Amino acid sequence: MIAPAVIILGLLTFWPMALSFVWSFTKYTGLGDPQWVGFQNYLDLLGDPLFHQAALNTAFFAVTTMAVGPALGLATAILLNRKMRGRAFYRAAFFLPVTTALVAVAAVWKLLLNDGGIVNQALGLFGITGHQWLADPNTALPAIAIASIWQGFGFEMVVFLAALQGLPPDLLEAASIDGAGPFRRFWHVVLPYLRPTFVFVYVIGLIGAFQVFDQVYVMTQGGPINSTLTVVYYLINRFRALDLGQASAIAYLLVAVLAGLSYLQVRLARKWS
Amino acid sequence: MKIMKKHGVAAVAAAMLTATAVTVSGCSSGGSGVASDEDQTIVVWDYYGSASPITAAVPEFEKTHKNITVQVEALDWDSMLDKFPVAVSSGAAPDLVTADMTWLPTFASGGLLSDLTPVSKDMINGKAFSDVYNAGALGAMKYNDTYVAAMYDFDAYCLYYRSDVLKAKGLTVPTTWDEFLQTVSSMAEDTDGDGTFDKYALQILPDSFHFAQLLAQNGGRFLNEDDTVAEFNSDAGVGALAYMQKLLDAGGIYWGPSEGDSTGMPGIKDERIGMFINGPYMMGVIKDGAPEQSGKWAVAPAPVGKQQGSYLGGTGLVIPTGAKHAAAAWEFAQFLLAPENQEAVFTAAGAAPATTAGLAMPALSEPDPYFGGEVPFKDFEAAMETATPFPYVAEWESIDSSITNALETALLGKASPKDALDAAAKSADSELAK
Repeated sequence: MIAPAVIILGLLTFWPMALSFVWSFTKYTGLGDPQWVGFQNYLDLLGDPLFHQAALNTAFFAVTTMAVGPALGLATAILLNRKMRGRAFYRAAFFLPVTTALVAVAAVWKLLLNDGGIVNQALGLFGITGHQWLADPNTALPAIAIASIWQGFGFEMVVFLAALQGLPPDLLEAASIDGAGPFRRFWHVVLPYLRPTFVFVYVIGLIGAFQVFDQVYVMTQGGPINSTLTVVYYLINRFRALDLGQASAIAYLLVAVLAGLSYLQVRLARKWS
Repeated sequence: MKIMKKHGVAAVAAAMLTATAVTVSGCSSGGSGVASDEDQTIVVWDYYGSASPITAAVPEFEKTHKNITVQVEALDWDSMLDKFPVAVSSGAAPDLVTADMTWLPTFASGGLLSDLTPVSKDMINGKAFSDVYNAGALGAMKYNDTYVAAMYDFDAYCLYYRSDVLKAKGLTVPTTWDEFLQTVSSMAEDTDGDGTFDKYALQILPDSFHFAQLLAQNGGRFLNEDDTVAEFNSDAGVGALAYMQKLLDAGGIYWGPSEGDSTGMPGIKDERIGMFINGPYMMGVIKDGAPEQSGKWAVAPAPVGKQQGSYLGGTGLVIPTGAKHAAAAWEFAQFLLAPENQEAVFTAAGAAPATTAGLAMPALSEPDPYFGGEVPFKDFEAAMETATPFPYVAEWESIDSSITNALETALLGKASPKDALDAAAKSADSELAK
């Protein structure tokens, strides 16, 4: 029964992955025979300042979005877990950007942040001079991070909301009877209860954050001055330059980093539980 | 791109496998000849979009070539760039492709393009290549002394300017770098007083195409004669970038990648841009995008520095390696390059035909009401005479990226032109050494 699925998965996922792993040790344009170069592609990357910048930018993006996104998602989930008027509407409204194509969201944010966009116009109302957010190397990446957080925190909100709805009310009641105020109930009951949810959110979120591409492609194309060049964007550039060997090496370095981070997160979660 | 995001290069490989499943030819014939009794379907990849002169030529071609069916597949510029190598390397190459001339070094050095000599015998419609194109175009079509493309439209730069504004301000068309600086300064306005020019400014694109123009005019070149060492950081290169910076400061509007649309159409529409330097394809773009500005624009030769010079690009017709119907594809390419069909490059797409006979067609010498009743093509044709293509080295993609980075760095004031170009040259030398 599962044979067709295994065959399709093997053919379309595992075989190409194995192939590109082999290519990562070769010089290969896609035509002719790959030329074996050992670890040269990996060594070149480790000494490549552009790759260093792409890695730093990606790390900045991941740290920023994962510091703010889940916190915002949790705060929204707590607010929307209470009985309030229009609760269903707000839940749907916050989740809506998640269902919207990332490219469309990026295009809209690009319009908002442009020189004559709504953001600068709004600042102008308060007498504040606008800024070329996406054309300034200091603000381009944070701007992309903000757009990404806005697009993605609805997902984290839904996950936290689902977890909060599974929180047994008697736990909170018992804490209240013991004299715990709202903060202590949150710190000593809610947060420990949500620990597995945090692990899930961070594992999924970090994998997504390290693979950021669409927003960069639409909003800045890696510029200005490579300030928004990310690892996956650099990978595509190498692919376009027909350097499939180095592109494969970048992909496997990314896989290694993500696997390491995911392993660390799961280990930490086990330790804390 | 979505797949790529999720699985990186593995997805590239997956895409390559998937691409093998795509049938690109409806014909079982694998021969390269075009026997009159043999029906063939050729697949053409075309990035011209809705105003394609290629699609328009198909019915007439099929009438005169009963055994050849042409299947045109429309792809945008980016998709073409990504899919072309995958299709060729997976054995699913189309038969004929419109390729940006700037792609040729990478594609040709990667073995993705066929040598056209075996199929063409270096003849187009019975004429030698050298009788069909001028010297600049012939040079651009060759890689390692073999023809890998037949140029279909060309790109060489002239100055577009708002003639109504120029006249209203009592200015004259600039012909030298010094005059250009003065004119840009007088044209541009900062209406809200925020320190940036927001009306009738000169569009400054931080890309190697526009740097190439200034570099050539300042007597410089990208690489040395052997294409082994970067030379764009010479005094001529530094001077060219410093001049670009002066233009920006005098009355330019920085049009970086975040603006998205390198044509500048949003800025042209809302009049932030009053001058720009670009190729003939912009004539069609601006007419479509800003019809309300008809009669307000004009074209003139780009102001000259130490000498004439321009970037030379355009579109080439290429036959990919592994094309199953190369001879039939060449038949269609020749049809497209016939003077009467070259005219359609202008009438359908608003671009400039690349062949000398195509440029002589009557439609191109008719006064254009959009450009004040002038004949802009004569200026582009003149620009083509002294234009040169980018160096044809396999590493150009990376070198181009370093140069763009240097331009952004200097124009945004993060480094001096010399420091920025020196850093880029160091990176380019390292690429070339590989």
